[in-house]
Amino acid sequence: MNPRLIPAALVLGLLAAIVVAPLAGLLNLGAMPGYESADLQFWQSAYLRRVLFFSLWQALLSTLCSVLPAILVARAFALQPSFPLRGFLLRLFALPLVVPAVVAVMGVVSVYGSDGWIPFGRSLYGLGGILLAHVFFNLPLAVRLLLPHWQAIPQRHWQLAEQLDMNTWQRWRFLEWPALREGLPGVLLLVFMLCLTSFAVVLTLGGGPRSTTLEVAIYQSLRFDFDPLRAVLLALLQLGLCILVASLSLRLQRLPEVEITVDAPTPTPGPRIRPFHLALILLAAVYVAMPLLSMLLDALAGPLSKVITRAALWQSIANTLFIGLSAALLSVSAGWFLLRYSASLALAGQPGRARLIDLAGSIVYVVPPLVIGTGMFVLLSPYVDVFSWVYPIVIAVNALMGLPFVIRILGPALRQNHARYHLLCQSLALSGWNRFRYLEWPLLRRPLGLAMALVAALAMGDLGVIALFGTPNTATLTLLIYQQLGAYLIPDATVTALLLLLLCLTVFWLLERGLGGRLDA
Amino acid sequence: MYLLMRCCYCALLALLLNFGAEAATPTLTVYTYNSFTSDWGPGPQVKKAFEAQCDCNLELVGLEDGVSMLNRLKLEGKNTRADLVLGIDTNLTAEARATGLFESHGMRMESSALPKPWDDELFLPYDYGYFAFVYNREQLKNPPASLRQLVEDENGPTLLLQDPRTSTPGLGLLLWVKKIYGDQADSAWAKLSPRIVTVSKGWSEAYGLFLKNEADMVLSYTTSPAYHMIAEQDRRFAAARFSEGHYQQIEVAGMVRSSQQKGLARAFLQFMLSEPFQRIIPTTNWMYPAALGQASLPPEFAQLVDPSPALLFDDKLVAKQRKQWVDEWLEVMSR
Repeated sequence: MNPRLIPAALVLGLLAAIVVAPLAGLLNLGAMPGYESADLQFWQSAYLRRVLFFSLWQALLSTLCSVLPAILVARAFALQPSFPLRGFLLRLFALPLVVPAVVAVMGVVSVYGSDGWIPFGRSLYGLGGILLAHVFFNLPLAVRLLLPHWQAIPQRHWQLAEQLDMNTWQRWRFLEWPALREGLPGVLLLVFMLCLTSFAVVLTLGGGPRSTTLEVAIYQSLRFDFDPLRAVLLALLQLGLCILVASLSLRLQRLPEVEITVDAPTPTPGPRIRPFHLALILLAAVYVAMPLLSMLLDALAGPLSKVITRAALWQSIANTLFIGLSAALLSVSAGWFLLRYSASLALAGQPGRARLIDLAGSIVYVVPPLVIGTGMFVLLSPYVDVFSWVYPIVIAVNALMGLPFVIRILGPALRQNHARYHLLCQSLALSGWNRFRYLEWPLLRRPLGLAMALVAALAMGDLGVIALFGTPNTATLTLLIYQQLGAYLIPDATVTALLLLLLCLTVFWLLERGLGGRLDA
Repeated sequence: MYLLMRCCYCALLALLLNFGAEAATPTLTVYTYNSFTSDWGPGPQVKKAFEAQCDCNLELVGLEDGVSMLNRLKLEGKNTRADLVLGIDTNLTAEARATGLFESHGMRMESSALPKPWDDELFLPYDYGYFAFVYNREQLKNPPASLRQLVEDENGPTLLLQDPRTSTPGLGLLLWVKKIYGDQADSAWAKLSPRIVTVSKGWSEAYGLFLKNEADMVLSYTTSPAYHMIAEQDRRFAAARFSEGHYQQIEVAGMVRSSQQKGLARAFLQFMLSEPFQRIIPTTNWMYPAALGQASLPPEFAQLVDPSPALLFDDKLVAKQRKQWVDEWLEVMSR
């Protein structure tokens, strides 16, 4: 028996416990007398068809608009390994993902609204507004996720290309594209899932009910209509869509052939400073920075000292940090075991099964937290006092939401590492902790650091299920922002949002640097 | 860092458990929405005032909103921890009644400030308000004087609304239009549609966009300008008075049947209708207190528009028709 099976099976079991069990719980509830089950009429309605079509359409467009430019920008970053502020810019690129949706909408409106710097007027509301916001969220993320693939190209290959006097197109064709090909489908899928499940952004900037996504329909059926059966079926539909897209996009994937090399990843040599690359980077940076900058300006004009002196703020900061860091640790550990198992399967000549396991970890993101949370509540509340379980549940759900990111970031590096060194390790009888300590940690600490940092930031910015469970004393910063917004305290909310961003930036920096070592990006 | 946080958490948990073990004083658990329990909501003051007189511990549990409270109660059924639920509105009372989880309060509402006498056996109101379109006086010189005028005028002001599928004010407007237009509601929405800038998930998004000047008017409450006057000394904002009247929202509390603390729960309901509680409401929840005369309100409230006549559907009718009306609305708005 494969020794990696046990931890991986544990993780898969956990996944099942967190996703499948709540769904089953809700389904069971839906089947109980007293709850009206979803009617057939709904499933045949033009409304559902329209929602389905729109969800897919906006997610596809948003994905293409985010990832295609991101390839160019990531390439520019890769080929220009040193210029002032490079490290800072890359860290800035981790921020949009953290911004709570409402705050991001405000930021986008500050820039492109009728009183904004680049006024779009009414035409902002519609597909245009949705795309603007989704590109703001996802382009920087895609850049961060794609960049390591360039760095994985061994130094020797660049030298060889230089000697062969390859032109840009040839380099792209023979060096960069093969390297990119392993990771690109995963990134496409991830961004697609993020856009598919986007809710407040789509509804608000989409200009109303014309822009209804499946996520809105799920929310509606679980709240106002209180029809758990319909909610679960819609969630499964969403999951099914993602599996479909995943299997399509993963066809594009080609795992790189194993090559024995002892090069540690190094920054690629930038042949020359190219104004074109710098211009691209500048453009992307300006695009990402504008909404953030407008938030910063709003916050600086806000009641800074009043917000900071509130005890509730500090309590929320502590809660936020605790949840973010715990979720990151849990998520990265779970992802680690899952990936190790799939890597060993791949090496044993079972790439299909390996892919399946990766997929399982990658797509849980699209089961809405509201559904998971409610399902867990149904399961747990008869047996335990749910109030004292709020932290574990929130952390588990956030860790789950982070898993796709861990798999994207850690997967390629871990697979390569495994392919290169597994046999060596076996012949040296290096295993367990020692293998991690002396082999895997030094070589994988960068992706590990990035994954930890990203999941922590993500969990810190997530409203999660805290709002759903609602207990005294468990407010997070994000919840605090929503409370302030709901109480007319919009200036206070902008200040809190800025604090959240600074906190995330700091944690991101500390984790990425602290775990990943000094090499930038 | 993680270890440190975990230690903090363990210490905190130990502290909480410890308190729980020592507490001989009874605890009254109230489910409410989290803007009630937030720092600037009525929660902290209410807790302090009630605990000072009841010799008990008041635990306010903040959920997302009235709908979540009701759903939570449905999920928990008889095992709920809640003794009281505070913050569902009159659009939900029929559904809440149908769960059979509430017990009659057995009280009479003596000093009601509501336009109509209150005679509900299960629920008691603590505050109420009216939906209205809020605008900036400096930007919009001639606000419409009636809902009909707002609907009919093709060059009228642009609007920010909330979605009736996800928000209470959104549902309020849907009912308001239904009340005025009846069967013609869909054509009214069709006329309104080109001037709707966007329809947001919740009140916060729409109000935030309004303050960013994205449209002339936003769907909110007649009492919203009071916030700007009192908390910000800003007199630019006003609610447009519509001659047909404004749709009303009454927020109520009810006692849970399975509660072990019914005595305390009744004491809380009594306290809820008393002056100390009622005086907290206007400047924390920004609504009209249900049992406090106009004379006892902050002076700024006298400057708000007169919303009469109050419009309100029977709660049973809303429960029965809501789904169909929302579908109708969707049909028109998705065109």
